[in-house]
Amino acid sequence: MGLIIDFDLELIEIVKVSLNVSLASTVIAAMIGIPLGFIVSTVEFPFKRGVITLFNTMLALPTVVIGLFVYALISRNSVFGDFELLYTQKAIIIGQIILIIPIVTTFTLSAISRIDARYRKTAMSLGANPFQTSLVVLKEARFAITAAVVAAFGRVISEIGICMMLGGNISGYTRTMTTAMALQYDKGEFVLAIALGIILLCISLAVNVILTYFQGKSSG
Amino acid sequence: MTLYFLKNIRQQYAARTVLDIPELVLDAGRIYTLTGPNGAGKTTLLNILSFLEAPTSGQMTFNSMSVTFNAAAMRQLRKSVILLDQHPILFSTSVYKNMELGLKFRKIPRDKREPIIRTALNMVGMEGFINADARRLSGGETRRVAIARAMACKPAVLLMDEPTADLDIENQLRIESIIRDIHRQSPVTIIFCTHNLVQGDRLTPHHIYLFAGQVRESEHENIFKGEITTKNDRQYCRITEKVLIPIPATDKRDTKISIRPDAVRVADRKNTDPESQMLSGNIIGLSSHKDRVRAIIDAGILLSLSMEKSEYDIRNLRINASVNIEIDPGGVTLF
Repeated sequence: MGLIIDFDLELIEIVKVSLNVSLASTVIAAMIGIPLGFIVSTVEFPFKRGVITLFNTMLALPTVVIGLFVYALISRNSVFGDFELLYTQKAIIIGQIILIIPIVTTFTLSAISRIDARYRKTAMSLGANPFQTSLVVLKEARFAITAAVVAAFGRVISEIGICMMLGGNISGYTRTMTTAMALQYDKGEFVLAIALGIILLCISLAVNVILTYFQGKSSG
Repeated sequence: MTLYFLKNIRQQYAARTVLDIPELVLDAGRIYTLTGPNGAGKTTLLNILSFLEAPTSGQMTFNSMSVTFNAAAMRQLRKSVILLDQHPILFSTSVYKNMELGLKFRKIPRDKREPIIRTALNMVGMEGFINADARRLSGGETRRVAIARAMACKPAVLLMDEPTADLDIENQLRIESIIRDIHRQSPVTIIFCTHNLVQGDRLTPHHIYLFAGQVRESEHENIFKGEITTKNDRQYCRITEKVLIPIPATDKRDTKISIRPDAVRVADRKNTDPESQMLSGNIIGLSSHKDRVRAIIDAGILLSLSMEKSEYDIRNLRINASVNIEIDPGGVTLF
């Protein structure tokens, strides 16, 4: 507790890194996942059901599998090796984006599908063009979509596999709350681990409070 | 002036033809009802008239201009035609923002929107709800706001799919009076679907009757479903426990029947014979069409009856009067 109250520098640095990468990956995943979910739900194309099944399957993708996959692509001797991404915050962000795009996409997809076809028809009859119609439907699903983004953030802030494998747990640079906790546990130093655990739980609580708020709005 | 002219309009979904109209002319500034049984193609016709759906084939003119059924042209035409759904949708925001939407799509400047919105809400008696949350409104209020939202856009045509379905009598009458007011105050053409023939008659003498995707003469409006039964060597279609309609000979067991309104007659004789299948009922609606008078009779089922004006004058019929009615089996079609 003393660490939290005294704003221990190392602890603050760790929390900052965690929030940095998690927020960045959530924002980018939202920018890709929301339009993707919208397109999949509204546009008819061959193998649409297959694509939806694929996204649902990807919800269960283990973080270590993503870690391995991205590692194989960005390690020094691989395709993207020249970019020198391995053990950087960017690497963590890339892995986390892959982790949560399926969450944002499937949640957006189900939010849009729940919007009655009459919303689209009403907007069209009022004179909306296709873009305006899409905007009206997206607005109608805004609470459910925001809830999806908040849930995605909750997923990345608490994951460890990707941070460990792609970030490398470098102090002050890629050490996140979860990797720091694992390290402290290994060293048998529980004080910082518990302090980090408390902060992580507080962030999770805040995320859930926000999530509940938006879910309530969405169903009301 | 002719507003819509439809020629050989057909709509097919997969192999099923849901609409097949050789010709239909609708004049500007009138109120029309669109009636017919479920599945007759009413909603499909409304979708085509509101340019939300392109027909499979056929030609159409709107305001004397030939209609091209491509997305851009239809979108342009939708600016002058608004369709109100049976259960209209208000978006989950304030009444004001809902009302503003159509104006925004029409690029009406922001400062000009409020007076238009206030006038439109005033027309439906909802001006006090301008800042209300649209999701908190009752069914009747939602429909009134939806009508105002449409009228704020000053459409040339207002199409409504069963505007009073599932509403209580008070709200039904209110919506009817709004429709009447709108029509009086603006040159808008109103086309609405209804199953309520009496309501249709109250609002307009212009009725379009659709049956199995085709525009028919109104003689097909008495449509019922029942089972065939034989009594005293004569065949009847039993619609309800008490209502038996005499029919031409058939070997069917269940059937749908339609009764021509002129085959439904007010009987001169009293219904003294308990074995007779004469029906008794009350007149609940009367309207005049050229040289004929149409009466709606509640005889356990709603029957539409058509008679010469001269006959109406002699019989001195009035609303709520009890009448005995006979049906000529020759005017009954089985299908």
